[in-house]
Amino acid sequence: MSRAFLSPSRCDAGTLTSPLRRALEGANSAAVRDLSLEGVVEIRGDSDLVEVAEGEDLVRLSPQRGYIFTDGDPADVAERLRAGGVLAYDATGALAGMAIESEQVVRRLTDLDLDELPTSGPFAHVTAIVRRADDGWVEVYVQQEYGHYVAEAVVDALTGLDTSRGLTRGQTPDVSDPDGSPA
Amino acid sequence: MRLEPRSGERIDRSKPVSFSFAGWKVAGFEGDTLGSAAFAAGKRVFSRSFKYHRPRGLLCCSGHCPNCLMTVDGVPNVRVCTEPIREGAVVEGQNVRWSLDFDFMSVTDKVGGPFTPVGFYYRTFIRPRRLWPFYEKFLRSAAGLGELDEHAGYSRRYDTEHRKARVLVVGGGPAGRAAALAAAASGDGVVLVDEDASLNGMQLDGVEVLAPARALGIWEGGLVPVDAGTVLYRFRAARIIVATGAIEQPLVFPGNDLIGVMLPGGVRRLVNDFSIKPGNRAIVVAADDEGFEVADDLSEAGVAVPRVIDLRETRPRELVAQGGKGRVRRLVVDGESFDCDLLVASGGRQPAYSLLAQAGARIEFDSELGVFVPTELPSGVEAVGSVTGDGLGKVDPEPAYGGKGKCFVCVCEDVTTKDMKRAIAEGFDSIELAKRYTTTTMGPCQGKLCHLPSIRLYSKETRVYEAAIGTTTARPPWAPVELGLLAGRELTPARRTSMHWSHAEAGATIQWAGPWKRPYAYGEKPEDEVRAVHESLGVIDVSTLGKLFVEGPEAVALLERLYPNRFGDMKSGRIRYGVLTSDAGRIMDDGTIARLADDLYYVTTTSTGADAVTAWFEWWNAVWGYEAEIVNVTGAIAAVNLAGPQSRDALQRLTEADVSAEAFKYLDAQEIDVAGVPTLALRIGFVGELGYELHFPSPAGEYLWGQLVAEGARPFGLEPQRILRLEKGHVIVGQDTDSESNLYSAGMSWLPKLDKDDFVGKYALEHFAEREEKERLVGFTMEEDVLPAEGAQIVVEGFPAGRVTSARRSEAVGSVIGLAWVPTDRAKNGTRVEIRVDRLLRGARVTHGAFFDSAGQRMRS
Ligand code: FES
Repeated sequence: MSRAFLSPSRCDAGTLTSPLRRALEGANSAAVRDLSLEGVVEIRGDSDLVEVAEGEDLVRLSPQRGYIFTDGDPADVAERLRAGGVLAYDATGALAGMAIESEQVVRRLTDLDLDELPTSGPFAHVTAIVRRADDGWVEVYVQQEYGHYVAEAVVDALTGLDTSRGLTRGQTPDVSDPDGSPA
Repeated sequence: MRLEPRSGERIDRSKPVSFSFAGWKVAGFEGDTLGSAAFAAGKRVFSRSFKYHRPRGLLCCSGHCPNCLMTVDGVPNVRVCTEPIREGAVVEGQNVRWSLDFDFMSVTDKVGGPFTPVGFYYRTFIRPRRLWPFYEKFLRSAAGLGELDEHAGYSRRYDTEHRKARVLVVGGGPAGRAAALAAAASGDGVVLVDEDASLNGMQLDGVEVLAPARALGIWEGGLVPVDAGTVLYRFRAARIIVATGAIEQPLVFPGNDLIGVMLPGGVRRLVNDFSIKPGNRAIVVAADDEGFEVADDLSEAGVAVPRVIDLRETRPRELVAQGGKGRVRRLVVDGESFDCDLLVASGGRQPAYSLLAQAGARIEFDSELGVFVPTELPSGVEAVGSVTGDGLGKVDPEPAYGGKGKCFVCVCEDVTTKDMKRAIAEGFDSIELAKRYTTTTMGPCQGKLCHLPSIRLYSKETRVYEAAIGTTTARPPWAPVELGLLAGRELTPARRTSMHWSHAEAGATIQWAGPWKRPYAYGEKPEDEVRAVHESLGVIDVSTLGKLFVEGPEAVALLERLYPNRFGDMKSGRIRYGVLTSDAGRIMDDGTIARLADDLYYVTTTSTGADAVTAWFEWWNAVWGYEAEIVNVTGAIAAVNLAGPQSRDALQRLTEADVSAEAFKYLDAQEIDVAGVPTLALRIGFVGELGYELHFPSPAGEYLWGQLVAEGARPFGLEPQRILRLEKGHVIVGQDTDSESNLYSAGMSWLPKLDKDDFVGKYALEHFAEREEKERLVGFTMEEDVLPAEGAQIVVEGFPAGRVTSARRSEAVGSVIGLAWVPTDRAKNGTRVEIRVDRLLRGARVTHGAFFDSAGQRMRS
């Protein structure tokens, strides 16, 4: 059993679509970037047995559970880890990820302590893994099925920064439809 | 009237701004508030009082009282004395009938007083009870504040922002600023908030200044929500410094609510900040030094101040403001009359301790100062400046001065000294009870202007010292806050599959299905989609199914103990249906279990069951400690059900694997490549036709869906799926079963293997196996072409005896069919039952087995 049906990297080129494609269409890429198709591996078992390679970052959720974010092929990484005695699953398709430039936007969607990253907790009312990239951007990963909703919330929060910037009590920013997409 | 330009004024005379005030066009300047501009333009009536509809004018000009509450651009209860001016704003009076200057309801002031004493509502409008809705409507329209539009949507955008601060200073007066600067000297993360708009943009070294912004309360863990208008900042502060100062208190004397009776701070703001001459002839009556400083400002502004009365030196018995048309014209002091059009009256200043009290500080009466002060502070919270009582002199005015006329203790709720005395006489002799009975301190000022005066009066009337009376409970919010701001941005988490947008773009009607957004159908007629599945080829997105890996050397042992049926005898590459039962033997969830390898199982659950089943598996495995991992891969894997007589051919065109009937049998599971996508194909048939569930990496969802549609598969939605599964008599857990249903009553007695050593719910199932069930889940076929509602009653001998759980019209069967719980003695095949449909009883026949293709040949073909 190859478990290839779990791995987007084993699909032919041109077959993959990010869950955030529509939500981030037209969004300012200097403010938010889509990470959804970048490699993630979920590990189960003793994370001390995990040897993290170049281009990989291990986020431990518990002693027996964690995620490896990788620049490499996640299916290969999972195989390597299995050979090392840890159960590993390609979780690339499981998570939608986005990198957000503005901490203020992040703070409008979560009360997690951004000085204590990586961490896990509520983001826009759904559970997220939040970590900090080398360039200082905040990376947020949620279950892919919530990805579109969360990306919409991020884009909306970005819009909110623009409309509320410099406003004081009594000044009214534009009204916008809080319901978002009817679909 | 505006004064000549003065140094320190906040207005920019080069920038005129105009707006409408109660229908009049009013002009002001940038830097004005709506209230100051209206006052400068000669407007004096800003509101009508809560109960008596008395005209009220500016009193404090600092956002503390109810006198300038108006509706601004449709938003009710805005304090215009602090609301910045803006071009084109529409400012209207509220709680008025006709106009601010002439309010029909003010007749209650003339005649209502004696007839509407305190407690009047409680006693009068209790009988007859059924008239209460009418009374309530009348009372709400006659008394109250601004009107809320119940059907209004968001009128503006509100955001919530979570912030951290090392030090949060509340209050930007001299003490607050000094504390902030001192804190900033030892590190960053210092934030100062103040409600005064003039502090906006103020530079304080190392301090972030948020103004105008109000702290609404202090909660555990240093949580301080701050209202900044359209953003609610939720601060977590390691150290909170409260510098909220002290609030001027009104004096209690007859006529103390007339227009032109003002607090000194309000007058000084009009003069110094907005360069307005507030009157021509002023009398000043005050109980502390602060009150007298206003006299100099008034003189400088050209206002005559013929008389200043220091209540520390003279203790008049009678003090009465008199006037006409609601405006002050004279002050009578012990029979001596002084003409005036402005009466500046102050009963001293009370520390604004409410935030500290909410944080857990102890508040006690300081008999030296004559006010309440904080004495013990909780850790992490400090107080500086006059909120501690620092710098305040002793104040000891009469609790209420004598004279003729209404004498208000609480201007928000129109509570007079007479009302308070009556409440005490009626036995409400604790301040908390009196508060509730009279509603003093419960109005928009939150007790800022009436708490101390009411306790002074209470003390005098009951002959109990203020220290013994204590304070009433200070509750958040400390300042009024818009509900929209508390609600924040509306965020409703929605789960969408990776093919969601393919459905939306194909015109599907999208509906909520639990936490998911799913296609109901793709066209007007779901039956067309059903027909396609029966006759040719259909495809439905079933990515919402829960999907779990159970892996490890003891995976099979774990599953054997979790499910009532058997898995140890399953070969790799085979699939079995499974139903999870609770400890009490009740049906919890169902799905399929595919054995992919000796130590690897792939479990599917219902669409809403994935999280609960994962938690259930993990919980039991923590108890039993099997060497098996449970991994929820619901989101990682997309799934479709390709169904219909042409499904094999269509699949074969997309894969090199052999999917012939011989090579890929019913209930087989195989890993194959479909159109370049690695896929786990499961040959199962929830909808009763030859079909394959294809499970593959979710990012390939849109692509593979497109490939299948291009092969001729017609998309079908949830509604056609419900019809198809009903034709097969397949149960939907949660729809056809409830928390009381068990495998025997639901007609699945073939499933539990009671000879297994142990499994969850075994004892209960053994018991169920022996007893006679009271009711059974059965299929039924309607005798006529009428469709019962889901939930419709099964009626036996005139009494309700069961219920319909599912019903649909089936073209393939040629009847209305459904599932229902019926009494066991009515559960035999062919028994006639009656179902209530639109109040009429309609006949139906119990039907065992599938309604369509009962031998299951089509899905096994
Ligand atoms: S006058 Fe506006 S709140 Fe008092």
